[in-house]
Amino acid sequence: MVTVYSKPGGLTTFNIKDGFVEALLRGYKLGFLKDVDYRSILQCDNLSDVKLNLQETDYGNFCAEVQQVSPSIIREKAMEKLVAEFEYLRSQADYPLAQFLDYITYDYMIDNVMLILKATLNNPNVDIFSLVKQAHPLGQFEESVLKSICAFENSAKGYGELYQSVLIDTPIGKYFAKFLEEESAKSAQNANDVQNLLAELSATRLESSLRKLYLEDFAHFCETLGGETAEIMLNLLKARADATAINITLNSFDTQLNQINTRKSQRKPLYPSMGFLYPEGTEKLSEVGDENDLASVLRTYPIYEEIFKSHQGQSNEQTIDDAFYEREVELNEMAFEGQFQYAAFYSYVRLKEQEIRNLVWICECIVQRRKDRTSDHFVPIFSKEAKFRNRNR
Amino acid sequence: MSSAGGQRPAANRMTLQTFKARLGGASKGFKLLKKKRDALKSRFQALLKDIVDTKLKVGESLKDGAFALAKAHYASSGDDIASSIVERAKKPSVTTKMYPDNVAGVSIPVFKVLRNASQEAIAHTMGVGSGGAVLNATRDTYLKAVECIVQLASLQTAFHTLDEEIKMTSRRVNALEYVLIPRIEDIIHYITQEMDEQAREEFFRVKKVVEKKKVKLAKEKEQAEKNEAAIDAPSILQKKDADIVF
Repeated sequence: MVTVYSKPGGLTTFNIKDGFVEALLRGYKLGFLKDVDYRSILQCDNLSDVKLNLQETDYGNFCAEVQQVSPSIIREKAMEKLVAEFEYLRSQADYPLAQFLDYITYDYMIDNVMLILKATLNNPNVDIFSLVKQAHPLGQFEESVLKSICAFENSAKGYGELYQSVLIDTPIGKYFAKFLEEESAKSAQNANDVQNLLAELSATRLESSLRKLYLEDFAHFCETLGGETAEIMLNLLKARADATAINITLNSFDTQLNQINTRKSQRKPLYPSMGFLYPEGTEKLSEVGDENDLASVLRTYPIYEEIFKSHQGQSNEQTIDDAFYEREVELNEMAFEGQFQYAAFYSYVRLKEQEIRNLVWICECIVQRRKDRTSDHFVPIFSKEAKFRNRNR
Repeated sequence: MSSAGGQRPAANRMTLQTFKARLGGASKGFKLLKKKRDALKSRFQALLKDIVDTKLKVGESLKDGAFALAKAHYASSGDDIASSIVERAKKPSVTTKMYPDNVAGVSIPVFKVLRNASQEAIAHTMGVGSGGAVLNATRDTYLKAVECIVQLASLQTAFHTLDEEIKMTSRRVNALEYVLIPRIEDIIHYITQEMDEQAREEFFRVKKVVEKKKVKLAKEKEQAEKNEAAIDAPSILQKKDADIVF
């Protein structure tokens, strides 16, 4: 019995608990902006026109009461909509799905903890309320938790105290525990050396370590769920881990992370220990010293080779981030192809994020009168005109 | 032009000399200041053109910067870049230094951008996870904007300084041209007039004296003749001596 309830169920049993929620999700999927919507938004000359156009879409109710429109307000409102939908899904979900949805929010919780840590690092008297407003609404903590996070210092010791008194009660406490464990094990080896070296990097370190632990934990959870969920989710998470690893490598070239003696000791721990590249790929990545090396490592992975080519093309239009976003959208759209699995929920949130990014980008372009540049960074979702669809044809 | 109620100086040759010297100095100064004003003005005109160009450039580069920032926002997937940047900002990597520049004897401040790239090392680890390249591009775009702004600031300061200087020089030029020089000329004119007057007076006085003397002489002569006639007694000498007047 227990096993039945801790798994999503298959063709015959899925709908007992999760049928309604999935139906909701499929309904929400229709709310994505369509090609037509994008086209009409792209034709706008000012943001009130955008608002007018949005009123005919699913965003209508959320934009209706706004008087003044700006890209950030549109972002806020769109996020509000996403959160409202997500909360509704979450409130309808039963155990394994509820847990799964919670896992999605942990990602944003890590963002928020990092946001607050970074903000309070230099300035302990920072305004908590403005921070709470900046925080991602999907990973919101209670206010008391946020306030107490601000009281700790940015050092291994500070993190330890922070963990023991505050974060242990939050869902992401376990990642902190793991991070501190690893950190203290390392400190034992060469105590003061590591501390000094990492003083500057520690916030970045902490963030990528937490993210890494989270991805691994999430992947593990998906594995226990089994079935199609595990299959698709692992695909998605692995792709994300690979993107992180490649990005870290690429972005570290100008920094002290790329010095030969720190490559292994500091850059390598930032790579997630999962993904299609793991372990032999990340091992090679940790040796990489410049873009040519990176290209030669990625040559053996056709997908990433192509993505990296878009970076090397030096055309200003597409950066590697865009290529990764595109790939993410492609993968996440595929998650909707299967039924009776949870991956679509994750994909839904990710795709909505991308949609919000698209909207904000288009709005920025309109505000700054650079409409000719809109196509640079914008990945339509469930669009027949998506670049990857045309490529396959 | 009147001497504006000023005290008339004593009209003599010495004051005339001093005033003539002052007139010479004033007109020399006037010529020099006028030259300076013209030099400043020509520089000023060139500056105006520069300022307009730079202002357009600043607008353009700030627009680029805002656009790059929007790009960075897009690439860093909605993370709050601003707070992490503020957290990293410790020492400024871009500073300005002031150098004096000289235009027609007016020192004008010129600002120069100094960039210390080593202070930026901290910022390089920004967005290592994602969007680092875009962030770097954004920083470069903004750096250009900052350079433009500093250039504009330098031009504007020069503009203000020059403006002040031109105003002051013009005031001086005008004061010399319309007040000081006419006043000195007026005084010189007055002095020469006065001296002519004095000369004429003197001449007339001398003439008068001579006239009076003549009259007196004539009178005396007449008197003497009368006396002679009155006596008319046969002279003791009888013989008239031509050398003796009386």
